Amino acid sequence: MSGSLFPDALKQLLEEFSRSGIRELHVRKADFELYLSTDPAAGRSQPVAAPPAVTAAPSPTPEAAAPAAPPPASASAGSLDLPENAVVIRAPNLGTFYRAPKPGAANYVEIGSKVKTGDELSLIEVMKLFTALRAEEDGTIHAILVEDGAMVEGGQPLFVLVRD
Amino acid sequence: MAIKRLFIANRGEIALRIVRAAQALNIETVVAVSDADRDTAAARQADRAVVLGPAAAAKSYLDPRLIVHAAKESGCDGLHPGYGFLSERAILPRLCAEHGIAFVGPEPDVIDTLGDKLRARAMARAAGVPLVPGSDCVASAADARREGDRIGYPVLLKASAGGGGRGMVIANNGDEAEAGFHRASAEAVAAFGDGTLFMERFVPEARHVEVQLMGDGKGQVLHFGERDCSVQRRYQKLIEEAPCAAMSDDLRAQLHQSAVALAASVNYRNAGTAEFLFDVQRQEFYFIEVNARIQVEHPVSEMISGFDLVQEQIRIAGGAGLSVAQQDVVLSGHAIECRINAEDASRDFLPSPGRVTRWEPPQGEGIRLDSHMSAGAMIPPFYDSMVGKLIVHAATRADAIARLSAAIDDFVVEGVPTTLDLHRAIIAHPDFVANRIHTRWLEQVFLPGFGKKAA
Repeated sequence: MSGSLFPDALKQLLEEFSRSGIRELHVRKADFELYLSTDPAAGRSQPVAAPPAVTAAPSPTPEAAAPAAPPPASASAGSLDLPENAVVIRAPNLGTFYRAPKPGAANYVEIGSKVKTGDELSLIEVMKLFTALRAEEDGTIHAILVEDGAMVEGGQPLFVLVRD
Repeated sequence: MAIKRLFIANRGEIALRIVRAAQALNIETVVAVSDADRDTAAARQADRAVVLGPAAAAKSYLDPRLIVHAAKESGCDGLHPGYGFLSERAILPRLCAEHGIAFVGPEPDVIDTLGDKLRARAMARAAGVPLVPGSDCVASAADARREGDRIGYPVLLKASAGGGGRGMVIANNGDEAEAGFHRASAEAVAAFGDGTLFMERFVPEARHVEVQLMGDGKGQVLHFGERDCSVQRRYQKLIEEAPCAAMSDDLRAQLHQSAVALAASVNYRNAGTAEFLFDVQRQEFYFIEVNARIQVEHPVSEMISGFDLVQEQIRIAGGAGLSVAQQDVVLSGHAIECRINAEDASRDFLPSPGRVTRWEPPQGEGIRLDSHMSAGAMIPPFYDSMVGKLIVHAATRADAIARLSAAIDDFVVEGVPTTLDLHRAIIAHPDFVANRIHTRWLEQVFLPGFGKKAA
């Protein structure tokens, strides 16, 4: 999804979107913003506090991520010695986990990084569609639980954030 | 190239069935699960389970990109779609092909063709398979009488633009056909703004029969006999049998031949089912459609043939040819399957998810259970309510009914209501025992009486 969006690319995107069965797509780049949705109620459900840069459904809503139990196969955040005020940030769906916006670029966050609500933490890719995972509260990154480029499962713990 | 690691893009009993078939072939298995299905029998039995996403099927089992991504990233070289969900969506095999994953099913173009009713009918006609006798457009009342005489009564006059029963008239003779033409045409104009009509033979008491097929993708197709699935409620099958005991051997041979010819005409690959309407009075069958997947009721064909269809599916997807020849497929005895749903038949079949507290299935000769349930298992509310299939095999239909009845009596399930009691009553009904049933029998004859007793 690099480069600017020309009308042709936009048309192609619209076609891809309607064919894909994806319900929601949100693109925001510099002074350009595009929001597509098949949901008539989308105007209201659109994330206001932290619109993802590029979102393919399922969007990382707290409802989807919060109640998920740690998957059996993954490193369980429950076994970590968590400081007070720690929250576990989980993958909303299965995909490939990327710590940087593109190969060679700096990682979004490192251990110790201060993040604000809405800051990007990582990308989750499903078939070339990249979903930004964003902080839902202010805090400091305490742990990063997954290697760059690894497949993560829905509900898998990715970060531990200590709230401010 | 033989599949080494198989991805299973489904849930419930069929996911477990596929895992076991793959394991019997020494193939590794990865099962896709939603968040609600982490702790299921298939997930435990497989070498690995990967969580796709939330419980909602649209965000897990129905997302083809998510599924193929998961298959690729978990190192799978084959994918089995099971039934339902994405099993007949051509996008799944297309995405698999793009990523070098062998799809356990037909070519995507064949899936598209078979999914289009008109193209599928044209294909059947070209292969010499009988279709419901009918007409082209009928232009006048005199035309309607002439066509009705040719087709044979009763006939159905149908609006070409129609749907939902409007503009549809049944005629039992020439006079009714003429009168019906005017009525149906007027109704069609009122409802659709288009009075164009066509006619089709009406089969008041039809049976649903279907032929189990397996193709190698190169034009060779085997059949594993037919199934009779006439016990239906709202077009959902409840009980399936093999063979169709109401069919003569001559007609049965023609049915098999038609189904094989149809599949061979498109070089059909992998498992499929050709469905037919069987007019018992006339002893004729008419093509309905082809289902391009393994079906829920495949076990009855396995029971009478002694052949594992799911294993064969996986072998063929891995590039192998058919492992048997038609003359080696020997069908014997009679098999009956009942679908056990977690539903409350006394409350209009209300789906009743919840936790199973006791699960003690029957055991014994000729009894098979395909189920992912056990004591303590959870039936989540997000998916269909089928909790298992109880299948019996015996020498004759009467023996099979007796065996099924005893098996149901021995089956203990607590925690959720199931349709086991309904099945016990159906198979004890004199019409079922005498095999005098048709596709609307359950709703028209059986359920009204059953409802009274239950209330």
